[in-house]
Amino acid sequence: MRLLRLVWTQRWVSILSLVFVALACDSSPSPTSSSKTPQPQAPTQPSGAKEGVDVQLCDGETKTTVPADVERTRENGVKISDALMAQWKGKHPDVDWVSQEQEKHTIVPPHDNHNLVEKGQGQVYGKISEQDVLTWERETLKFVTDGSRVFHSSDELGSQIAVSCDMCHPNAANTHPETYPKFQVQLGRVALLRDMINWCIEHPVRGQVLAPDDPKMRALEAYITAQRKGQQLAYGKR
Amino acid sequence: MARRPSMKSVETKYYEERQQLFDQLRGLDRRSFLKVSAAAMGAALTQGIQFTPHSFQPVQVAYAEEAEAFRFAYISDSHLYDRKVNERFVRSLLRAVDDVNRMDPAPDFVLYGGDLAQLGKPEELDLGAQILQNLKVPVRMMVGEHDWFLDMGEKWRALFGEPTYSFDHKGVHCVVLLSVLEDDFWTVRGMTPMERMQTVAGLDNGIQSRFKVGEEQREWLQKDLASLADNTPLIIFSHSPLYKYYRAWNFWTEDADEVQALLQRFKNVVVVHGHTHQLLTNRIGNIYFHGMLSTAWPWPYAPEGLPELTIQMSRPDPFNPNDGCGDGACRVYTDGLADKVYNLWNRNPVQVTRTYMVSNGKQGLPAMPNLISF
Amino acid sequence: MQDDVRCQRTLAKPWVSTRFIFLRFFSFLLFLQILLVVYTFFFFCPIPTLAAENELHGALAMDQQLARIEQLLLAQDVTKPPPHIDLAIWAAIVPNDNTLTAERIALGRKLYFDTRLSKDGTVACATCHDVSRGFTDQRSVSEGIRGQLGQRNAPTTLNALLMQTMFLDGRAPTLEEQAKLPILNPIEMGQASPEDTVKVIADDPEYQQMFQQAYRRVPNYDDLARAIAAFERTLVFLDAPFDRFVAGDATAISVDAQKGWALFNGRGRCMTCHPLNPSNPLGTDNRFHNVGVSARKQNFDELATQALKVLAKEDSVEAIDRMALETQFSELGRFLVSKNQADIGAFKTLQLRNIAITPPYMHDGSMQTLWDVMDHYNRGGEANSFLDGGIEPLALTEEEINQLVALMFTLTDTRFAEANQQQMERQRQVAQERRPFREEALAFRRILPFEQRVTGHENVTTGDQAKKAAAEGEKIVEQEKHDQQQGKNLENRPEGQETK
Repeated sequence: MRLLRLVWTQRWVSILSLVFVALACDSSPSPTSSSKTPQPQAPTQPSGAKEGVDVQLCDGETKTTVPADVERTRENGVKISDALMAQWKGKHPDVDWVSQEQEKHTIVPPHDNHNLVEKGQGQVYGKISEQDVLTWERETLKFVTDGSRVFHSSDELGSQIAVSCDMCHPNAANTHPETYPKFQVQLGRVALLRDMINWCIEHPVRGQVLAPDDPKMRALEAYITAQRKGQQLAYGKR
Repeated sequence: MARRPSMKSVETKYYEERQQLFDQLRGLDRRSFLKVSAAAMGAALTQGIQFTPHSFQPVQVAYAEEAEAFRFAYISDSHLYDRKVNERFVRSLLRAVDDVNRMDPAPDFVLYGGDLAQLGKPEELDLGAQILQNLKVPVRMMVGEHDWFLDMGEKWRALFGEPTYSFDHKGVHCVVLLSVLEDDFWTVRGMTPMERMQTVAGLDNGIQSRFKVGEEQREWLQKDLASLADNTPLIIFSHSPLYKYYRAWNFWTEDADEVQALLQRFKNVVVVHGHTHQLLTNRIGNIYFHGMLSTAWPWPYAPEGLPELTIQMSRPDPFNPNDGCGDGACRVYTDGLADKVYNLWNRNPVQVTRTYMVSNGKQGLPAMPNLISF
Repeated sequence: MQDDVRCQRTLAKPWVSTRFIFLRFFSFLLFLQILLVVYTFFFFCPIPTLAAENELHGALAMDQQLARIEQLLLAQDVTKPPPHIDLAIWAAIVPNDNTLTAERIALGRKLYFDTRLSKDGTVACATCHDVSRGFTDQRSVSEGIRGQLGQRNAPTTLNALLMQTMFLDGRAPTLEEQAKLPILNPIEMGQASPEDTVKVIADDPEYQQMFQQAYRRVPNYDDLARAIAAFERTLVFLDAPFDRFVAGDATAISVDAQKGWALFNGRGRCMTCHPLNPSNPLGTDNRFHNVGVSARKQNFDELATQALKVLAKEDSVEAIDRMALETQFSELGRFLVSKNQADIGAFKTLQLRNIAITPPYMHDGSMQTLWDVMDHYNRGGEANSFLDGGIEPLALTEEEINQLVALMFTLTDTRFAEANQQQMERQRQVAQERRPFREEALAFRRILPFEQRVTGHENVTTGDQAKKAAAEGEKIVEQEKHDQQQGKNLENRPEGQETK
């Protein structure tokens, strides 16, 4: 009997954990924000204890103790998961940063690949599915949205004079990413978009230049290029 | 973004006019040619305008028709941070004050076009007020959204008085509006005042509402104008352009039509506005709209909605924080029309004259830029 | 018999006889007149072979300069572009009517060093563009015939072929056009007209032959200018330690200079006006900028307003020309050429190549060392109504300034390495003694440009100190000129040692 109860508790815990994982880890934090990758820890209480069960999220920190006498119904399970989520959201207010950013600043959406759904090879590589297309779109949009976030934030750019890119380039206007590579007069040499971004960070923004593969640089490049979707490439154009 | 393919490039025009002079005066050598061009410059200067020797036409525009009532200078959109945070914007405002103090003849007053502070903080507004105190002529203040939305004008009122007022100057009626009011977007979102301010501070931030003059102010304006005859020269100062240029960047006033309706009966109305940080010109019927330059940074031209009359400035060089920026002046005539002078730093000044406006751009063209704008 | 001897004696000594008093008197007068003629002749028409100090105007003797140039210029096939210059760029800058041939270059060389081209026969191109002094004269302003001084510093002829315009205000579009003007300038070489100039050399059979070989024409002024330009197009000195570093040799320049290069591209904000790249290796954007040097020693804004008013009242050609030659209005720079208000006080960005051996610096030669130049830029130039807004305080530390200066010393061609070293030591010594343009409060933005003008507060002694600095610079020039006139023997001067 005890063994059965143990198994049953474990199953509840695992189901609840899965629910929490599905809810919490789906809204993953922005790739360039400073939160660290969570390290899950083992529960401190042995399962099956009389006082109750520790239920914790995959971040290893947010947890609650469920009293032993709480009925294991679905409703109660949802209540517990809601409470844990509220706790977590309280600690991470920018969790919804994607839609927050998109509400503030118009982001040009990526190319629509829906025409590819149900296309593709037969069995081995499978057909392209709706979810595939959605995944590509969501990830691309998030990456570009993160670029918008950095673009509009003088703190993220490390500006010593509180200047952000959008002060001269609202909606990334006047950036002309389609004209790179070109001889950039201000740099006195041929530049790629990222070189010009760095020059702007150094001079008008007076921040710290970014390494070419810095996640912020990649995000900025992505956002700037994305806003000029549909423009003809014209490298070398002044 | 050239919208007038029928216009000749400035080079063609330049050389054609030069050739015309050569043809007109026989046996012209270089020295005599210089003499003629100097005479042109001389003629231009005696008219009291700033020296812009782009055209070789002996007489640039017909200035002698109307008497000048007065001239005022303007400085606008300084977007000051605290000095320790950003000294570059402070330097630019100092430069503008220096320019205006050196104007000869001195203007009657200086109009400050709004956005003195960047985030509306008390120290920013105090710094701005302190710097503007060094102006040798009186200043008329106008409020911008960056000054307003941190504390909804509390500090502004303490420093500069009511944001909406009018005054008469040498027969011209001048009105200063607060045209950057916005419908409440912050309460429902539970924003703090600084969050509200930072939302408004982002030009491309879509959360904020569109600018408006608002019903209360429109009623005030109607009462203020009620006693004026139709041919009274009238200048309206507003921070936002009192027309609809580009919605996404709040180069826009939501109730512009209603405001314009109030101004319709007048013979000539000049609207001088800030916020757009660029050379901007428009005419809607009897209303002539002139944008003011910023001292802090230039905005690019919007992707759509640019008024046809606008002489665009070419793309500023990001190496020069003063490029595309500056201050300027306005010569107001007794009939209510005005010449607008854009004193662009490190560029030749640009004049948008009454002749140009009245002829809908057919005469009195200032020099067109021959480099791309944005 | 006695009477005959007496008579003879009297006849034998006519000078002591009273009969010949008038003869003696008039002979003496004649002697005086001859003396006067001789004196006048020597005073007004000095013979070049005298080679007196002031008649060379401080330059090395022409024959010695010629000897040096033989050493410096590498033997090369003149039909091909010189090394270090992009082929397409070379094709674009050599005019069709003046392609390089050995004859043209030889003629140009002869003319460049020929003092006969000046009115009094003492000034050649090489007087102010002296082979031993960095192809300039290493003086604040240049000296022409009769010791007259100009208002502007002489740019170097080294690498001048790559400049897009000549003169500090860019009034000559090509080397050919440039060569024509100093010859006719009354304070430089002083010839009355092109015809007068040609007359000087037209009878010389050697010139006749050279002109014939070079251009298949009799000597004429246009070809004279072309030949000089052709010679100047061989003055390519673009092989510096810096180039070897850029090519990949990390040991070619010091670590400090390498850090200077990083600053040059970064916080120093140098690269935009002084681009250094393979197609444009000079370190100039060929544009005109007002960096505030004019504003330092006079009320520049008042000057500019005055100039605009003068143009309004006096619209004659003479007024404009007078303005260009008069001391004060010369400071308006490019404006006098382009008549653009944006160009008031703007002077051309000069090249950085061989900068170390071409002091003093700036259009008026007011800066003696490269440290002074860095101090000027570090403080954000000098505020004036037409200041280029790109000049802003840089907040560079002393270490960073040293690094940038170290970089500049690596831009000298290896053929001038010794002169470069001597300049480095000399300038470092001078800089250690005085740094008249240094102003930390401005450099580190504690006080802002324009602030003092607007608020009127003298809490930074910008105005006074700057004027003092300018005055000090002028004193140095005066001292140098004085030393020169004391009579240092130039011929004994070892290679590269500057006269200051």
